[in-house]
Amino acid sequence: MTRTIPVLTCLTIVAILTIILCTFIGPAGFGFISTAPGAADIVGSIRLPRVLAAFFVGASLAVAGAAMQALFRNPMADPYILGISSGGALGASVAIVFLGGLFVPVFAWAGAVIAILIVWLIASRRGVISVETLLLTGIAVSFFFSAIVSFLIAIAGENVHQIIFWLMGGFWNASASDAILSACILVPAGLLLFFMGRDLNALSLGEETAAHLGIDAARARWSVLGGSTLLVAGAVSIAGSIGFVGLVTPHIVRMLLGQDNRVVIPACIFAGGILLVISDTLTRTFFSDLPVGIITAFIGAPFFIWLIYQRGNVT
Amino acid sequence: MSDPNRINAENLHAGYDTQAIVKSISCSFGPGTFTGIIGPNGSGKTTLLRAFSRAIPSSGILELDGKDVRDYTPAELGMALGFVPQDEPRPFAYTVMQVVLMARYARTSRFAALLPADYDRCHRALAETGITDLAARSIRTLSGGEWQRVLIARALAQDTSVLLLDEPTSHLDLAHQSDILMLMRNLAASGATIIGVFHDLNLAALYCDRLIMIKNGQMVADGTPAQVLTPEKIRNVYGADVVTSCHPATGRTFLMPVKTTNGNGSHLKSLNVLVVSGGGSGAGLLHFLAGRGLSLSAGILATTDTDYLTAQALEIPCIPVLPFSQIPAHELEKQKAMLAGADRVILSAHPVGAGNLPVLLALHDVDPARIIIHLPEGREFTSYDFTKGTAATAYQDLCAAGAACTSTYDGILRLLLPNLNGDENHETRNTN
Repeated sequence: MTRTIPVLTCLTIVAILTIILCTFIGPAGFGFISTAPGAADIVGSIRLPRVLAAFFVGASLAVAGAAMQALFRNPMADPYILGISSGGALGASVAIVFLGGLFVPVFAWAGAVIAILIVWLIASRRGVISVETLLLTGIAVSFFFSAIVSFLIAIAGENVHQIIFWLMGGFWNASASDAILSACILVPAGLLLFFMGRDLNALSLGEETAAHLGIDAARARWSVLGGSTLLVAGAVSIAGSIGFVGLVTPHIVRMLLGQDNRVVIPACIFAGGILLVISDTLTRTFFSDLPVGIITAFIGAPFFIWLIYQRGNVT
Repeated sequence: MSDPNRINAENLHAGYDTQAIVKSISCSFGPGTFTGIIGPNGSGKTTLLRAFSRAIPSSGILELDGKDVRDYTPAELGMALGFVPQDEPRPFAYTVMQVVLMARYARTSRFAALLPADYDRCHRALAETGITDLAARSIRTLSGGEWQRVLIARALAQDTSVLLLDEPTSHLDLAHQSDILMLMRNLAASGATIIGVFHDLNLAALYCDRLIMIKNGQMVADGTPAQVLTPEKIRNVYGADVVTSCHPATGRTFLMPVKTTNGNGSHLKSLNVLVVSGGGSGAGLLHFLAGRGLSLSAGILATTDTDYLTAQALEIPCIPVLPFSQIPAHELEKQKAMLAGADRVILSAHPVGAGNLPVLLALHDVDPARIIIHLPEGREFTSYDFTKGTAATAYQDLCAAGAACTSTYDGILRLLLPNLNGDENHETRNTN
C-alpha cells in the first residue's frame, strides 16, 4: 500500500508526458518547435485528437478488462468476453456492406450493446444467474455473431479490407469529437468502477463471499457490467476491436502494484492509455499506419505467453 | 430487543431451484452458545447454514436479532453475521492481509479508505488464528489449512455477534483444530452466537454445548451431545453402528464406529463360540470376532467392565453382574450352562482376583480340546494373577491339559477353523 501513491503519481506524469511527446511525433516530422506551414494544423487537428482518442480508448479497454477479470474470477477474461466486440463487428460490417461505410461507429456501438443485452436476457431468463452462465452465454453469442461477420466478409466484395481493418482496430479516422466522446464515457464509467474497487475485490472471491462481507453482490454485478459495457462499446465504436490491451494491461498493473482492485482500477486507466498511445504512435510513424490492433497483439501476445510461463513457476 | 434469541427460525424451508433441501426447520439460538449442526452427507446442514446467512433464499420465519433477515441491507448483514465457508476459490494472488481487510468493507464507506483501527482489528484476527506471519503471503501459495484459517480470521475481523462456520476445521491438523474450536468456545463464552456444521461427531461433542441433528432436511434431534449422540439415533440417521461412552479425559460424550457385518464368513456361523474375558481384555477380540459372523456369546462380565460395554454395543449376549461384589451362585450356574453349550471357548487372559476366580476355575470342567487361550505377546499368566498364585496355576493347568494357546487374533481364527485356507483367510481379513 505504501507504494501506491508514488506509483500512481508516476503513472499520471508518464501518461501526460506520453500524450505530449506522441503528439509531436509522426511521419510528417515536426519537432516541438516547428515553423513549417501547416504544422500547427497537423499537430492540433489531426495528431492531438488521435493521441487523445487512443489514450481514452486504451484506458477504457484496460479498466473494463480489469473489472471483467475480477467479476468473472478469471485472470484470462478480457473486455470482449461477453461478445461486445463481435456485436460491434457485426454492426460495423452491416454498415460497411449495406450502407457503404456510413454510420459505422453508430452501428458498431449499437451492435455491441445489443450483443450484451441478448447475453444478459438469455442468461437471466430463469431468475438467478451465475457468472458462469453469463460467461458461457457470452461466448456462444460471440461465436454466433462472428459467424455472421464471416459470412458478410465472404459476400463483401471490394469492401473486405474495410471490414478486416475495422476488426483489427485503428485510429485513422479519429476526430476531436471521438476524443471528446470517449472522454465523456471514460470519466463517469471510470469513476464508477474506481469506487467499485472493493466490490470487485470481494466479488473476485465469489458472489456468495461478497454477500457475506456485506457487499450488494447483485447490484455490484449490474454496475460493473453496465459500466464496462459502456466503456467497451464506446471504445469499439471509435477504434474497432483492438485486442490485448484490455487483457494484458491489468496483468502488468497487478505485477507492479499487487492485486487490490482499488489500486488496479485507477492504475489501469493510465497504463492502458499509455500503452495504446505508444502503440498507435509506433504504427503511424514506423509501420505506415497499419491497424494498431496488429501492433498491440504483436507485442501483447508474446508478453502474455511470458506471463503464463512465469505464473506456472510462481504460483 | 425483547427477543432473547439472536437467530430465530420457524418453519424454515430452503433449497435450490424448486427442490427443497431444508424442510420445516424450527430452532433458535441465544447469545453465548456454540451449537453444532450434524447429519449425514446431503442432509441439508450446509444449506441450512446458507439459509441463515441469506446466501440462498428461504421461506418461513427467519429473524436475526428480532428483525427479519430479509429486511437487512447487505452492509447491515455484513456487520451482524459472519460466515466461514468450507473453501473458497483463489483466482487472484491477493495477500492474506488484503483478504482479511475485506472484512471491514461492510463498516466503511466506499468513498473512504480503511482506518488504522481496521488494520488493527485485522492484525488481531490474524494473531487469534495464529497466522500473523502469513500476512504478506500470496493466498495462492497457502496450504488448505492455512487458507481455512485465513477465512476464519476474515470472519472474526467482521466483528459480528453471530458466526456461522461450515466445517471450519475440515482442513486443519489436530492442534489447529483444537486451537480454532477453543477460540470459538471463548467467543461464545463472551456472548457470541456460534453455529457450526460438523462431520466429526466427536469434535462436535467435545466443543459444542448443543447439537442439532438433521436428516433429509428435517431436524431429528436437538439437545446436549449426550442427548443427541445415542447409538439408536446415530443408527437411524447415519445408518452406522457406534458405541458411545463418556471419555475419561474430557468427561464429554464420545463415540466409536463398530462394524457388525454378519453376512461374511457364513461358513463359521454354525460355530457357537463363548468368550471368557474381563478387565477390558476381550473388547478387541469381541469386536474382531463379531466381524466374522460367528454365533458369539460372552461370559460373566461386570457392568463397569469395558468388555461389557463392547458386548452391549455389539449385541453379544453375556451375563452381567454387579462390580466389586461376589458373583452370585446362580450366575455361575448360568455360565456353566453356557460353557457346556459352546462349541469352542476362548479364554482371553485377563486379571483374576478373588472375586472372579470361580469363573476361571469353572473352565476346568470343560474339555480342554475345546478351549483356546489368548495370551498377548510378551505377557505371562503370572502378570494376570491377583490371587497369590492360584489363578496363574489355573491358567497353566489348562494349557498343560491340552488347551490351545495363541498370541494373535488370526491365530484364534485359524484354531476355530483349522482347514481355513489362505484364500478365505485373506477374504476375512478384507472384511475387517
